[in-house]
Amino acid sequence: MSDVTLRGIRKSYGALEVVHGVDLDIKSGEFVVFVGPSGCGKSTLLRMIAGLEPITGGEISIGGRVVNDVPSPQRGIAMVFQSYALYPHMSVYENMAFGLKLAKTPKAEVDQRVREAARILQIEAYLDRMPKALSGGQRQRVAIGRAIVRDPKVFLFDEPLSNLDASLRAQTRVEIAKLHDTLDATMIYVTHDQVEAMTLADRIVVLNSGRIEQVGTPLELYREPVNTFVAGFIASQRMNFIDVSATGNGLQLPGKKMLALSHPQLSQVRTLGVRPEHLELADATTADLSGKLAVIEQFGEYALAYVELPSGEAITIKLEGAPDLQLHDTIHIKVPVGVIHLFDEAGRALR
Amino acid sequence: MESTQPSRLTAIALTFMAVIWVSPFSWLILNAFNPLSTGQLEIPSVVGLDNFGEAISGNAGRQFVNSMLIAAGTATLSVVVGISAAYPLSRLKIPGRNAFLWALVLLRMLPAAGVLVPLYFTAQRTGLLNQLGVIIALTILNLPFTLLLLKNFFDTVPIELEEAAYVEGASLFQIVTRIVLPMSRAGIAVVWFFSFTGAWNEFLLPLIFARVQDAFPMSVGLYAAFGQQGAINYGFLTAFSIIYAAPAVGVYFLLRRNMNTGFAGVGVKG
Repeated sequence: MSDVTLRGIRKSYGALEVVHGVDLDIKSGEFVVFVGPSGCGKSTLLRMIAGLEPITGGEISIGGRVVNDVPSPQRGIAMVFQSYALYPHMSVYENMAFGLKLAKTPKAEVDQRVREAARILQIEAYLDRMPKALSGGQRQRVAIGRAIVRDPKVFLFDEPLSNLDASLRAQTRVEIAKLHDTLDATMIYVTHDQVEAMTLADRIVVLNSGRIEQVGTPLELYREPVNTFVAGFIASQRMNFIDVSATGNGLQLPGKKMLALSHPQLSQVRTLGVRPEHLELADATTADLSGKLAVIEQFGEYALAYVELPSGEAITIKLEGAPDLQLHDTIHIKVPVGVIHLFDEAGRALR
Repeated sequence: MESTQPSRLTAIALTFMAVIWVSPFSWLILNAFNPLSTGQLEIPSVVGLDNFGEAISGNAGRQFVNSMLIAAGTATLSVVVGISAAYPLSRLKIPGRNAFLWALVLLRMLPAAGVLVPLYFTAQRTGLLNQLGVIIALTILNLPFTLLLLKNFFDTVPIELEEAAYVEGASLFQIVTRIVLPMSRAGIAVVWFFSFTGAWNEFLLPLIFARVQDAFPMSVGLYAAFGQQGAINYGFLTAFSIIYAAPAVGVYFLLRRNMNTGFAGVGVKG
């Protein structure tokens, strides 16, 4: 059993409170990703679970045991640091064996566990090398290997991929997902990269300014964000937000077009949110929005068109394939009513 | 052949400089290896190590041992005390720690002779007018430099490495001895060697603290060797000087090797 439970967790540095009462239940074997912009408190939260930061208020339990006052080594956790934190004066083998040796594990068992971890991560060939003779991706594996050999109940990852280049990051992401499948351990992973969050997580915890904005599976967050922050943060292309005003039977869009709509809380709607991939091109007569094409980015399989509305707002549309659009042309856009998100004045989603 | 003109002039100037620089050393070496040395700059008719034999036996040998004791003792004590003080100074947010460090450095700038009188009376009261007293006094005088240097070295050890070791179950003592110190090898070597040469070269404190012949180190012995036998024994004196200077040369090479291999820092990028 390695559930992790957070109850009213607070963290203050002097008078400045940076984490304001976080409640969270993480089930045994779950892969949970903390995601949020820098300074949202996600790393602080992870470090409190790790026992590297004292907790100002609240209660953390791991496997049913309150660990507020339990020192880090006895919490049954292993942590992978952003900088990998490999000991530069020790070989890969010594790096991985360090924790076991400290725990006075018999030599044969140390050897067996280090080699087993090395086998899982395919770093057997580097065991005698020093960390400085390894590439970034190899160092990353050693850092993960060092965590695996200790056979922890909970793995903690603090932005482990942020120092890798893009292709290696994608590759390592897949490996971490496989590793989670193999090890069946609870994993808590901190990142500011929403792609990592979407692809790795069983559940994502979106944090902002020391508070949880929303907890849910990647698809829940994508489909039903509870507010404009989550809506704007999750998914690779940021959601478009359009200021609207509600009328009796629909929403007044910029450019004087009406979007016919019925909704129990229609009068409270202030912002309309729609993802770039849900917008469609239309002709002048059926268009809900029209504007000038300011920039187009062609990716081959899809293109992103940035359209400036006469009101000054910018709208992004994701188009399949390689559309033949000219810069500064007028683009007509249809807003499909079925996929839009409605938000009130405070940015809360209206369902 | 215009281009050779300046180089010929340069060559002559350099030769002149070389002669000026080299002649005292050649005098030193020629006399040291000449058992029949007279103190003249001449090619010896007999070459032998008799002078060196004399310079490491009896009183002179005793002084060599004393010098080694004082220098190695001071260096080791400086490193041990320096580490114990510099690590907390590097890791803990002590209010005013920088002001404190720089105040120490200011104190070190003051000439040692300026604090000689209080040092002497302290040593007298505590019964330390001996080699141990010299070691302690030199360590205290070394400490500002030692602290500042070691603190800077400890500052370069990333805190994440210590956190990683802590999570893996290392005690503070294990973190320091197995992570921080091995990674600061270069800094520790620099401090040890500098303290060693500093103490080896020290003249004033041993002269005043160690008032018996048996306790004199080489620096004091060299001073006393002038006129001890009525006439100056140049052969003995030059051999003694060479032995006295040797550790500094050795330390230089050791230090250079250590500085080249000591920095084991590892970057984040791959």
